[in-house]
Amino acid sequence: MAAAWKLLGTGMGFLQSSLPAYRSSLGVVEQVRSYYVDWRMVRDVKRRQMAFEYADTRLRINAIRKNTILPKELQEIADKEIAALPRDSCPVRIRNRCVMTSRPRGVKRRWRLSRIVFRHLADHNQMSGIQRSMW
Amino acid sequence: MGGARPLGTSSIFFSENKESSTSLSEDNEKRPEENEANAEVNNDGQKNTKINEGNNISNAMLTSQLETEPVVKLEDSKKFDKTKTGKESLLELLGAMKVEVTTIRKIRPPKFPRVSERPDPKPMESVQSMFQHATAEVSQQHETLIPTLVAAASAAASTLPNRRQAESELLQQLRKHEAIPDTQRRADGQNIGDIISDMKVGKKQNGRSNARPSSQIRFDEDGQGYTQDRGITGELDAVRTRKSPFTSKRLNIFNAGAEQDSLSDLGPTLWDIDLANQIVQATNQTPRNGFEEMIQWTKEGKLWQYPINNEAGLEDEASVPFHEHVFLEKHLDESFPRQGPVRHFMELVITGLAKNHHLTVQQKQEHIAWFRDYFQQKDNVLKEAEA
Repeated sequence: MAAAWKLLGTGMGFLQSSLPAYRSSLGVVEQVRSYYVDWRMVRDVKRRQMAFEYADTRLRINAIRKNTILPKELQEIADKEIAALPRDSCPVRIRNRCVMTSRPRGVKRRWRLSRIVFRHLADHNQMSGIQRSMW
Repeated sequence: MGGARPLGTSSIFFSENKESSTSLSEDNEKRPEENEANAEVNNDGQKNTKINEGNNISNAMLTSQLETEPVVKLEDSKKFDKTKTGKESLLELLGAMKVEVTTIRKIRPPKFPRVSERPDPKPMESVQSMFQHATAEVSQQHETLIPTLVAAASAAASTLPNRRQAESELLQQLRKHEAIPDTQRRADGQNIGDIISDMKVGKKQNGRSNARPSSQIRFDEDGQGYTQDRGITGELDAVRTRKSPFTSKRLNIFNAGAEQDSLSDLGPTLWDIDLANQIVQATNQTPRNGFEEMIQWTKEGKLWQYPINNEAGLEDEASVPFHEHVFLEKHLDESFPRQGPVRHFMELVITGLAKNHHLTVQQKQEHIAWFRDYFQQKDNVLKEAEA
């Protein structure tokens, strides 16, 4: 019981209340998104996590591979080592999908949204600082 | 005083058949019966149990003694510690009177004195046997009684119809009461307490008198209907009237202090986290406006802290002196060769790390350590390459 109060003090108690299931003050009910949009998005998430894990290792082995000072035998061994790492650990396999719809193309990097979702939100005045342009 | 009823047998039966708990709780109902029973017994002069000004509890005690239910001994033992007036002590003594059926003289009264047995068909004889016991024991006991108690006994006896008999009997009981040592008396109280804690509690059968479908419309005075608020108060009542575990007697199965050690060692258990979540959810956490929403997001970490701090997660690094970032050659001295391509390579690595503003010292040292291990593993390859 005392430990529960300590938890509250440290602010860990927000663990489960972080779901946006409440009604926001404006009266608009937000979507409650507790799943990823589709399986491709799930796989993309897994690849990102794995790339983060192996990022340091890949950097170091690549540093050995991509220089002219070390002997070539060592570099060949390093080549084989990096090829032996899991395939999802390389950052090249990450695709910047749309966050709302998981669309792989037409995604603007700054907002992480596909063009269609971006247009939808901007027209409904949900994007701060975005205005229809005319000149 | 009472009517010409046969000895109050029926009333004794009636009160015996009741649940034991209700005898305590429904004292008011019992009182007229008790008075009747007392009156009947009184008429026969067996025992003076009618005390009008006495406590309800003592009356219950008396009748319960007649019925040999040990229910109220608990009350007796509870009151024992208070300072008593003479009258109260007398009443307690009367309550302490035990009716023994058997002629075998026991040092301790039996633990379950007739809760399970059939009710006595002839309580008159049992009372008589008790009277005989009392008279028999008088000759054996010669303890001096406390004069105040004696005075109280005589005062009480004076209010009763059969003055002399009442007084003699009370004094006998006094002596008998004094004879029992204190420890035994307390033990009796504890035994009674154990018995009571084992006994079942009878529930008041409401039949849920207000049981209607909760959505049914009930009508006001003016004929406009209204649906009652859907509460569960009816069901909650049944829950509330049950005894909580903290009101009944302590069973002393577990040691009190043993639990606390294990609790302090482990971290927050899953139950603690759950409780914290419940507390957080119970308090009104929903944000009332956009500002509170942003505050909540900042606490969760979804929103950056404003004004934007580029070193938001790296507060500890501010205290690290610069020379630990820049001068990293001291890590190179152990276990790296002094000459050769490896050394050249590592110096380049050190230069690059020194110029990197975004890594902590810990991360830089990890890089160097990894290279150290790697080159130690590939030692043979390097030597073959040199040769």
